[in-house]
Amino acid sequence: MKSIVENFDLFAPKLVDKEEYYCSGHRACQGCGEALAIRLMAKALGKDTVVTNATGCMEVTATPYPTTAWKLPWVHVAFPNSAAVGAGVEAALKSLRRKGKIADRDVKVVSIGGDGGSFDIGFQAISGAMERGHNMIYIVYDNEAYMNTGIQRSGATPYGASTTTRPAGKQSVGNTTWKKNMAEIMVAHKVPYVATACHSYPFDFMDKVKKAKKVNGPAFIHCLAVCPTGWRCPSDACIKMGRLAVETGVFPLYEVENGKYKMTIEMPKKLRPIEDYLKPQGRFRHLTPDQIQIFKGMAMLEYNKVLERIKHSKSWSDMTS
Amino acid sequence: MVNFIIDGKKVEAKEGATVLQVARNNGIVIPTLCCHESVAPSGACRLCVVEVKKGKRTRIVTSCLYPVDEGLVVETKTERVMNVRRLVMQLLMARCPESDVLKAMAKEMGIEPQPAFHPETDKGKCVLCRLCVKACEDVVGVSAIGLSGRGKDKKVGPPFVEDSKACIGCGACAYICPTEHIVMEATDGKRKIWGRSFKMQACEKCGRYFAPVDQLKYISQKTGTSLKELAVCVSCK
Repeated sequence: MKSIVENFDLFAPKLVDKEEYYCSGHRACQGCGEALAIRLMAKALGKDTVVTNATGCMEVTATPYPTTAWKLPWVHVAFPNSAAVGAGVEAALKSLRRKGKIADRDVKVVSIGGDGGSFDIGFQAISGAMERGHNMIYIVYDNEAYMNTGIQRSGATPYGASTTTRPAGKQSVGNTTWKKNMAEIMVAHKVPYVATACHSYPFDFMDKVKKAKKVNGPAFIHCLAVCPTGWRCPSDACIKMGRLAVETGVFPLYEVENGKYKMTIEMPKKLRPIEDYLKPQGRFRHLTPDQIQIFKGMAMLEYNKVLERIKHSKSWSDMTS
Repeated sequence: MVNFIIDGKKVEAKEGATVLQVARNNGIVIPTLCCHESVAPSGACRLCVVEVKKGKRTRIVTSCLYPVDEGLVVETKTERVMNVRRLVMQLLMARCPESDVLKAMAKEMGIEPQPAFHPETDKGKCVLCRLCVKACEDVVGVSAIGLSGRGKDKKVGPPFVEDSKACIGCGACAYICPTEHIVMEATDGKRKIWGRSFKMQACEKCGRYFAPVDQLKYISQKTGTSLKELAVCVSCK
């Protein structure tokens, strides 16, 4: 298998930026999907970028004092205020540019955070930054729990997942609620570009980041990041789990441009059975067939909601009169 | 290492580096269309021009091809440079009036299309930057497309505008094209590029169409992997 990859010097992957902005040597776990996603994001953004990072895995593993894996200007901020600091950096750059104190060039501000720092703790800051229309991107790396501190449940944890604060047992199924739909909340903020992505589809993800960079205003990307440690799956299954999440319909990849929904990955006509996604993960090991049906129902509700919107949504510019 | 001055700033650079690389490393913005790190620079789009002073002589050069040298004085934003860039941009826009990429670049540079330059109608969005030709030759290694004709009739495509037998339908040319001139259409089981239709390989496990059969044959031949092993998509591997 290895020999194929070595000789696989072919085509589009060879045409991606070769500069690394998020370098090797960081201390993320083996098979970390989030580190991979950040590397791809940085490649898509390029050099003229300022990153603000909420507390979370990516801050802890990438920058143990006095080292850093980042080659971009990078600010670590508190848990709740990545978006607020991003908004401030954007305003400062604008002001300095206007006064002629820095060169007049386009520098994009990108705020990143995990699902804990975005769905729960940092939510009000994101809401504020997006609503005020700052020229910035917010990217949430969603690994579906507070993995860094020891797998505690967050607002992004799906139904049935066993976490340390919502453990599965005789009386409990684990988490009882479904993920908060952040993409939809951001569409409700009238954010011109909202997308969901996954590191297992690298070109799709990088295209979305590039598209978000071009938007003159706020943009939001929800990126599913597989966490083998917290999901209790083998570390070599990281890419596979991401693809399974998409192919089973649990995490459809779509984008919303000015209110118009569009699927970006061709979905299989018949979705894969949801068991394919649940079985390899230790956090879902305890689910009974009935509970799997409940999980499926919750996932399909979200999936069908997206399909409905793709059919019926219109661009906002067509809806003013 | 060589020392020289760029926009009034003293910089140090590795010998053999180009002015464009050094400028970008130092945060100086120079617009380009035909520059890509995976293929050798060719100076085709002419947008990256800068003013270079060496000894007594000052001249306009393409920064993507010009190697750095000891004692060079480079200016990237003088009126003379901007005049050339604006003219190049006007000509590119007249060639490809439909290109959104060029429109966005022109807007950034504050340029409006001038009536003196008559817009072309038959050139599509191609600026003849040769990136696709080089990617096909150097990166993919099949040389399925090239330039034909001369002067105003010069265009890019497969030889004699016929279905190219060498093309493997990989789409690298469409991916690298800076102005989105090359279109790749995908329908179930078929991929269409350069007017030729490619049969797609369905994954043996899940049945999804994932790559052109010709591309897999080429990979198989190049890497010595059996076709059977390649007939499974990434999700099912």
